[in-house]
Amino acid sequence: MMKIGIMSFAHLHAEAYVQNIKAIPDVEMIGFVDSDESRVEKFGRQFQVSATTDFEKFFAEKPDGVIICSENNAHLPMVEMAIDAGIRNICCEKPLATTLADAQKITALAVKNHVNLMTAFPVRFSAPVMEVKRQLQLGNYGKIYCFQSSNEGRMPAMYRKWFVDKELAGGGSLQDHLVHLTDLFRWITRSEVESVFAQSNQVFHHGEVDVETGGMAMLKFRNGVFASIDCSWSRPDYYPIWGGLSFEVITDRGAIQVDAFKQNLSVYHHETKGLSLVDWGSDSNQGMIDEFAASIRENRQASVSAEDGLRAVEVIQAAYESVASGKVVYL
Amino acid sequence: MKVGIIGTGFMGVTHAAGWAQTPAQICGFCAETTAEAAPLAKQYHSKIYTSIDEMLPEVDVVDLCTPTFLHAEQVEKAARAGKDIICEKPLALDVQTAVEMLAVCQKMGVRLFVAHVVRFFPEYAKAKAIVDSGKIGRPGTIHLRRCNYRPKKPVGNWFLDEQKSGGLLLDLSVHDFDYARWIAGDVKNVFSKKVSSMDPEAPIDYALTILTHENGTLSHITGGWAYPPPNFQTGFDINCDRGNIHWDSAETDPVHVLIRTDQDSPDVGLVGSHLIESPYTTEIKEFYDAIQNHKEARVTSVDGMKAVQIAAAARKSAECGEPVMIDSMKGEAA
Repeated sequence: MMKIGIMSFAHLHAEAYVQNIKAIPDVEMIGFVDSDESRVEKFGRQFQVSATTDFEKFFAEKPDGVIICSENNAHLPMVEMAIDAGIRNICCEKPLATTLADAQKITALAVKNHVNLMTAFPVRFSAPVMEVKRQLQLGNYGKIYCFQSSNEGRMPAMYRKWFVDKELAGGGSLQDHLVHLTDLFRWITRSEVESVFAQSNQVFHHGEVDVETGGMAMLKFRNGVFASIDCSWSRPDYYPIWGGLSFEVITDRGAIQVDAFKQNLSVYHHETKGLSLVDWGSDSNQGMIDEFAASIRENRQASVSAEDGLRAVEVIQAAYESVASGKVVYL
Repeated sequence: MKVGIIGTGFMGVTHAAGWAQTPAQICGFCAETTAEAAPLAKQYHSKIYTSIDEMLPEVDVVDLCTPTFLHAEQVEKAARAGKDIICEKPLALDVQTAVEMLAVCQKMGVRLFVAHVVRFFPEYAKAKAIVDSGKIGRPGTIHLRRCNYRPKKPVGNWFLDEQKSGGLLLDLSVHDFDYARWIAGDVKNVFSKKVSSMDPEAPIDYALTILTHENGTLSHITGGWAYPPPNFQTGFDINCDRGNIHWDSAETDPVHVLIRTDQDSPDVGLVGSHLIESPYTTEIKEFYDAIQNHKEARVTSVDGMKAVQIAAAARKSAECGEPVMIDSMKGEAA
């Protein structure tokens, strides 16, 4: 039986991944390791999994693969620790790192040690997104000119405080929400980002945090395609859903409008005295963890690589540079 | 008040219907040919003028429903004749021309109104009122979307001639540049990308523009001639620090007609909602009231000039690939 464990429960997504791992028939969820005792206590109990603060004990379980869900700036030390412990399959939460240097080190470590390192980009496993990508690449929707897109959400401090810590998260909304759509457009166009223009502000939750809460970027790809991305934490805490990811593709034949989180029931009930949205779409996290398990089973590189994570980090760093200089930054 | 309407295309027809709802008298119409002016003249029991010079001595107000490239000369003529002026948007093809148009109107003591009709659409006006009430706080990000299909009749079609219309950014996105300024104030920085700037042969056009307002608000403007006819979608999100407003034309359309038809779509895509009074009529009524009773209208000539200024900066940015700063004091795209 394949064994998968989680390194650190700092990231919210670990809560989903525990369930995703458990849902795969030939995989054993071996639990998680976290240096934070309160998280070990709380989430170990909540998810009924083995949890420890002792990394040696965790690695002694001989996991076939680990999923790293630490604070963003701890990804590199976590990857180093896992590789040193002999782990050869790693799925790392996005963004791959908070600095370009760290992202390059992670990628180099993976290559040098023949590690199957997967960057966690779950949007690539969204059923509606996969279908649109397939049709676009078949040429059924025409030639792509550009994308207009948004990955807006609530300010994540309501889930985990460290998401708004400049040091631990590496920044604010640009760091949190630029990567998914950047990766998606690279994946669809099979082209790399050539230049980035970005602007940011702090109108939402002004004064409550030290990082930007609003941001917009315009990417230009080497093949001429351009894309705008709104990555703001513009949704109020009481918004009926965490946020969303949507984009419009413009081609020579028209447009395709995609809203990846639109498959919801509108539910009104006495308890909340209002609207709540209940998602009935396919779980993209499950698709991603299934792929990670499949890559271990088949002894191959997962469909998303460390390099994919690195390319997205390059774009985020260019976006911060552009905000600082007010100019277009060329990669 | 005696009104003369110049231009009898879609906008001339629409404005005439608006004037008919005011106490003003429609004196007559002037078009490129008398044949084009004839149906409207007949409908409103008014005259056909063969030129603006023939019309001017007989009217108090001139309503210019003409292609953009003709505005400057016609505004100057009307102003020098001492007539108040309604001018279709965009005011001018470039900022310098717009500034000169404002100057001649000021010098001659005539009033100039720019028909930025979006400010009169009730969904846009209500959203503005909610923001102004202060109850949802300060805007952080704004999205304004406006996409339809390319105006038809490619031969002799002035909309598609950048020299005559200013193209997509000046003709279509200018609506939303003006609205963004109305909501979040003056703009200091403009960055734009446009399909036709990257590929002049593209059969569609589409532009994405990021505006940085002086107060830090970020606006994202989507403009397109990209959908198959007769699709026309508009929408906005105004995200503030104490609340959000969302509107989408497709989501809020109260009537969906699923009836087979052989009818072709109109040459120029138009937004329409089911309203008792057309926003164009609301607009004309307000201009009438402003002139008759010496009041301000919700859109001024300076607003019209500044919308041109943002559009000019966006066009420049789309061409050169760099952000363009706006010097609001000098009234030009630096």
